[in-house]
Amino acid sequence: MSKNILIVEDDERIRTAVRLVLEEEGYAVVETESGEAALEVFAPSPSDVVLIDIMLPGIDGFEVCRRIRRLSEVPIIMVTARDDSHDIVAGLEAGADDYLSKPFDPKVLSARIRALLRRSRPSETAHPHLIIDQLELLADEGTVRVAGHQVHLTHTEFRLLVELASNPNKVFSREDLLEAVWDYGYLGDGRLVDVHIRRLRTKIELDPANPRYVITVRGMGYKLQT
Amino acid sequence: MTGEAGTGDEPSEFSVPVLDHEDPRPAPLGLRARISLSFAVGGLLVSVVLAGATLVLTRRQLIDSRENAAAAVAVSNATRLSNQLTHDATIEDLPAIADSLTKIEGIQRLIRLGDSWLPTPELDSEDLPPLLLDQLAQRKAGQQRSSLSGQTHLVVGIPLTAFDADYFAVVDLADVEDTLGNLQIVLFGASIFATLIAAVFGAWVSQRTLRPLRRVRSAAEAIAGGRLDTRLEPQSDPDLDRLADSFNEMAEALEERILRDARFASDVSHELRSPLTTLKASVGVLEARREELSDRSQTALTLLSDDLERFTRLVVDLLEISGYDAGAASLDLSEVQVLQFLSATTRGIGPIPLHMPPHSENLMIRADKRRLARLISNLLDNADRYGGGATAIVVENEGPNLRIAIEDSGPGIPEAERAAIFERFSRGSAGGRRGGDSGTGLGLSLVIEDARLHRGRVWVEERPDGLPGARFVVELPADTEDEL
Repeated sequence: MSKNILIVEDDERIRTAVRLVLEEEGYAVVETESGEAALEVFAPSPSDVVLIDIMLPGIDGFEVCRRIRRLSEVPIIMVTARDDSHDIVAGLEAGADDYLSKPFDPKVLSARIRALLRRSRPSETAHPHLIIDQLELLADEGTVRVAGHQVHLTHTEFRLLVELASNPNKVFSREDLLEAVWDYGYLGDGRLVDVHIRRLRTKIELDPANPRYVITVRGMGYKLQT
Repeated sequence: MTGEAGTGDEPSEFSVPVLDHEDPRPAPLGLRARISLSFAVGGLLVSVVLAGATLVLTRRQLIDSRENAAAAVAVSNATRLSNQLTHDATIEDLPAIADSLTKIEGIQRLIRLGDSWLPTPELDSEDLPPLLLDQLAQRKAGQQRSSLSGQTHLVVGIPLTAFDADYFAVVDLADVEDTLGNLQIVLFGASIFATLIAAVFGAWVSQRTLRPLRRVRSAAEAIAGGRLDTRLEPQSDPDLDRLADSFNEMAEALEERILRDARFASDVSHELRSPLTTLKASVGVLEARREELSDRSQTALTLLSDDLERFTRLVVDLLEISGYDAGAASLDLSEVQVLQFLSATTRGIGPIPLHMPPHSENLMIRADKRRLARLISNLLDNADRYGGGATAIVVENEGPNLRIAIEDSGPGIPEAERAAIFERFSRGSAGGRRGGDSGTGLGLSLVIEDARLHRGRVWVEERPDGLPGARFVVELPADTEDEL
C-alpha cells in the first residue's frame, strides 16, 4: 500500500506541482489549503508524512504542527519561505522533524521524505533492552519508559535516543547524529540535532535544564550517560 | 598574465572590516584632557599667586617686626647709654656701661665715641654701611639692611645727640631668612599639590560632565552593533535633553527604515521563492519523464532546467546579500573540525589536494558551518569557472588566525582587477570572454560578506610557487564570538 502524504500549502500552484512530484514517486497525496482543513483531514485518517508551509492564512504552520503533534507522532516537514533562523528553530520547536526552504529541489524533497519514512520503521539495535537509572528503552518494541511510565516520543526523537543508546557514554558529534538519524551529510544543519535533543530532554529528563541522561559535551556533541 | 605581474607578493586586500578601531593619526587632546589641563593650569596660577603673596607678606611681616623690635631696643639702649655717659667719658669707660644695657640674642652693638669705636668680637666699624655712617654724621637716626659676611643683617644707627657718639645695633636676620626659606619650600610643595588636586578634580568634573556623552556614544555603538531599539533616557539638563531627543528621533527613523528594508526583502523573498518552488517542482516532473519527450523538447527542457537552476541561485544569492544589507544576517556558530569540514565541502567536486598544517587532525574553528561551507564552495566554484578548477586547498595557522587558501592554475588575476572582482556582478576582464558562463556574479561578493560576518577577510594574490594561477585566501579569527 502506498504511503500517504498530506500537503498543507495555501499556494495552489505549489501544491499542485508538489503533488505531481510526489505522485511520480508513488505516494498518495492529499492536498489542503489551510491549517484548519488539514486538521480536519488528519484527525480521522492520519497520513504517513505531513508537509506544512509556515505561512498560512488562519492558524499558521507552527500551530498546525503543534496540534498535529498532540494527535500523532507522524513525521512532519516544515516548509519555510525564508532562511530565517528564527522560523527554522520555531518550526523544529513546534515539533517538526525536518525543514525545507523554498525554493527546494524536488529530488531533495523526495530524499527527505524517504529518510523520514525509513526512520519511522522500528530499527534494529545492539541494545534491544537498555536500562539506565529510571530510563528504560525497549528498542524493538519502540517504547521508552521513565520511572515506569511510558513516554511518547516522535519517530525522530526515538531514533535519536536509540542512536545514542547504541553506544552509551560515547560522544556523538552533531554530524554523526545528522548522518545516522536524518541521512544528512556533514554539512547538514546542526540545529536539527540541538532542537531535537532539547525536545527529547523535556520528555525523558526529570529536570531538562540539568540533564541526567542526555549530556552535552561542549564543543564535541552529545552522549547518553549511564 | 599573472606571471608578468612581477614579484608583487603583497596580497591585494579587499575586505578590511571592523577589526581595529584604533586611529593612528596623532589626535588632538581630547575634551577630557583639555578640561583636566585647564583645571591644572588654573590651580597652578591660583596657588602660585597665593604662595607668592604669602611669601611677600610673611617676609615683610617678619622683617618689620624684627626691625621694630630692634629699633625699640636700640632706642632704649641709646637713651640709657646717653644717660650714663658723661662728657669726660673715654672709650675705656664704655664696656662697663655697655654691659648694663639690654642684651638680646642675635643683636650686636657698636658704639662710636669721638674717633674711637667699641667693637664687638665679630664686627667693627668697617663692617657698617657707609651710607648709614654718612647719615649718622649728619646726626640723624637711620637703619639699613646690609650683607655682612654673606648674611643679611639690619643695622640701626642712633646718634647720641648730647655727645659726639653713635650707637649702632646690628641685627642678624639669618633666622628670618631660614624661616622664609622653609616657608618657600612648603609653599612650593603646596602649589604642586594644589595643581595636582586641580587636575584630578578637573578629570573628575570632565568625566561627570561628559557622562551623558558617553551614554550617547554607547547607545550609538549599540545601534551600530545591531541593537536597533536602543534609546537614550530623558536628561535633566535641557541642552542634553534636546540632544537625547534628537538622538532618539534619529535612532527611530533608522530603525524604521531598516525594518522596512528587511520587511521588503522578506516580502520580495516570499514572492520570488513561491513561483520558483512551483517551477522547480514542475521541471522536476518533466525531468522524471524526460525520455517521453521528443529530442527538441528535451533540448528545450535542458535549457529550461539549467537556466532555472541559475536563476534560483541568483535569487537565493540576492536574498542573502539583501539580508546582509539589511543587517539581518546573524552567525550560527558551532565548533567545526576543519579537516572533516573541508573534506565534506569538496566531496563531489573530485579530488583536490588538501594541505593541512602538521598535527592538525583535530584543528577546530568556531564558525557558522553553513556560511563557511558556502564561502568555500563559492571560491571553489569561482576557481572552477575562471581558473580551470582548484588545484589545491592550503590550510595554515597564521598567529591566532586560520587561513584557508584556494589555488587554481588559470590565468590569474591582474593586480589592477583584484579589488574589482569582489564587486557585485563583476567578473573581471576574463568574464566577457566566457560565453557559457553560468555564474551569478554574486559569489565573490557573498564570500566577502560571509568572511566579514566572521570578522575575517578575503583577498586574492599570486600563487606562492610562481606558477600562473590565482590564490584566494580567507583569513578567519580563531576566536569568533557571537558579536552580531
